[in-house]
Amino acid sequence: MKIVVAEDEFLIADMLVVSLEDAGHVVHSAAHGAAALHLAREHQPDVIVTDFMMPLMTGLELAEAIRADGALRHTPILLVSGAQGAIARERADLFDLVLDKPYDIDRILEAVAQLEQRP
Amino acid sequence: MNTVFGGGFIEGASYIVQGQPGAGKTILGNQIAFATAAAGKRVLYITLLAETHDRLFQSLSTLTFFDKQQLGRSVSYLSVFQTLNKEGLSAVVNLLRKETKRQGASLIVFDGLLNARDRAETQLDVKTFVAEVQSQAAFVGCTVLFLTSARLEDDSPEHTMVDGVLELHDELVGARTVRRARLRKSRGSAALGGYHQYEITEDGISVYPRLEAALSRPSVEDAADTQPVLSGIEGLDALTGGGLPRGSTTLLVGPSGSGKTTFGINFLAQCSLAEPGLHFGFYETPKRLMLKARALGLDLQTHVDSGALEIAWHPLTENLLDKLAYRLLDAIAARGVKRLFLDSFGAMERAAVSRTRLVEFFAALTNELRAQGVTTVGTWELRDLFASEVTAPNSEISSLLDNLIMIRQVEIRSEYKRVLSVLKVRDHAFQAAPQEVVIGERGLAIRGDFEPASGISTGLARPLEA
Repeated sequence: MKIVVAEDEFLIADMLVVSLEDAGHVVHSAAHGAAALHLAREHQPDVIVTDFMMPLMTGLELAEAIRADGALRHTPILLVSGAQGAIARERADLFDLVLDKPYDIDRILEAVAQLEQRP
Repeated sequence: MNTVFGGGFIEGASYIVQGQPGAGKTILGNQIAFATAAAGKRVLYITLLAETHDRLFQSLSTLTFFDKQQLGRSVSYLSVFQTLNKEGLSAVVNLLRKETKRQGASLIVFDGLLNARDRAETQLDVKTFVAEVQSQAAFVGCTVLFLTSARLEDDSPEHTMVDGVLELHDELVGARTVRRARLRKSRGSAALGGYHQYEITEDGISVYPRLEAALSRPSVEDAADTQPVLSGIEGLDALTGGGLPRGSTTLLVGPSGSGKTTFGINFLAQCSLAEPGLHFGFYETPKRLMLKARALGLDLQTHVDSGALEIAWHPLTENLLDKLAYRLLDAIAARGVKRLFLDSFGAMERAAVSRTRLVEFFAALTNELRAQGVTTVGTWELRDLFASEVTAPNSEISSLLDNLIMIRQVEIRSEYKRVLSVLKVRDHAFQAAPQEVVIGERGLAIRGDFEPASGISTGLARPLEA
């Protein structure tokens, strides 16, 4: 499965990428939302995993851009966030799942697998 | 903090905050960030550290200013670590410019300038980086704070670029940690130089500007009222021309047990709603003081109940000298206090880290009290119960005080008696003869001239035989 990860924090991004790759996924990672959007358009991923607070484009703005993009609009989006979980949960139209930080990596892997199985 | 900076940060200016890890830079940066957000402005908190934002939020969550609701709304925490690593300093500058504009940010806190330095290949790179970040920010009226744990020298390129440099020091003096802030440079504002103590509490950082710098002149015009203030001690006012000069500071010296606290209770028993009193003490708890007053037949409780008297107790533990002074001045301002009993000056002196500034400190304090029209009686404990020498506090401090009264026990003819001597009254004639005092039904009272004897002031008197 192809996954685009958007996360500005190096440690978290690194851990996410390695864990997802270990689980057999192909991962493209970006340090902010704008780069992630670019990667998504290029690779047409099966799932997008994004942080909320990021430079240039937040996770919320990224999700809005994805939903407005004809080719990407149905891509499942998983938001992982420290403090903005509540903001994101109000936007069920944008996010398929919202997980709060600090999170358990297994929970992410499980969630990614679930999102993939959706029709 | 605003006082130290001579009115706060200037919009569009840039500052460096430097200090070792643990000095409180990150707390300060976040505190300012949330204060800015609370004022309805937007803030970018940029990190270059490997530590995750989540851990940062966890440690900040115990602080009162931290408001989770603002995260991602008015305060955005952004990591540019990856951008710096992959694309270099100029990419970071670019990103900051775009992001500042996009968010309409009024403040950028850049945490981790040291990392940017490590990354820079030459000194020139850092200088260019700082210059570019700040000039872009200034262009849109955005203030920048660079936080760094590096020990930047005065002539470092970063210093020459920014408008202000604030140093946070955390050092050991004896067994205690002393935190001091120093503004090394400040363009465009009348800042207070030198070291200012600060502390880190759950409310974040509180800076206590050096009193003598903050109040180099009293905050108000001197009150011209010269009507003396009654001391509350029977017989004393007659010796000093009708009472203590209004707005004067009296130093009451005497060894332990001589009746200094009793003097204070007598003095404060005279307070009223028109002339509110304050007991600012380090020794007796309010409860013990009340018991003592009652035992002396003086009623302080009614005054406390009516609001005419406040008893502020600061245990003699680790105190910050300037903090004590601000607490004192705040308590005075809050209730328009006119009668102050300070027990004691010696305890304030103990709170000082640097004794060389005590003269200036007490000068600023007594000037301010005088200007506020506060008549002050402060105590000073003499070390020896009986001594061949009488040691007043540091002579320079004594000279700042208007009046000097000594009180002590005297052994004479196998008896102990109390003696009170007025040694100095500013600008007024006074009766200098030693007086015998007793602690009777209404506290301290003067009974009359002490019997003719020599050595009274030493505590070991010898009657003058005919």
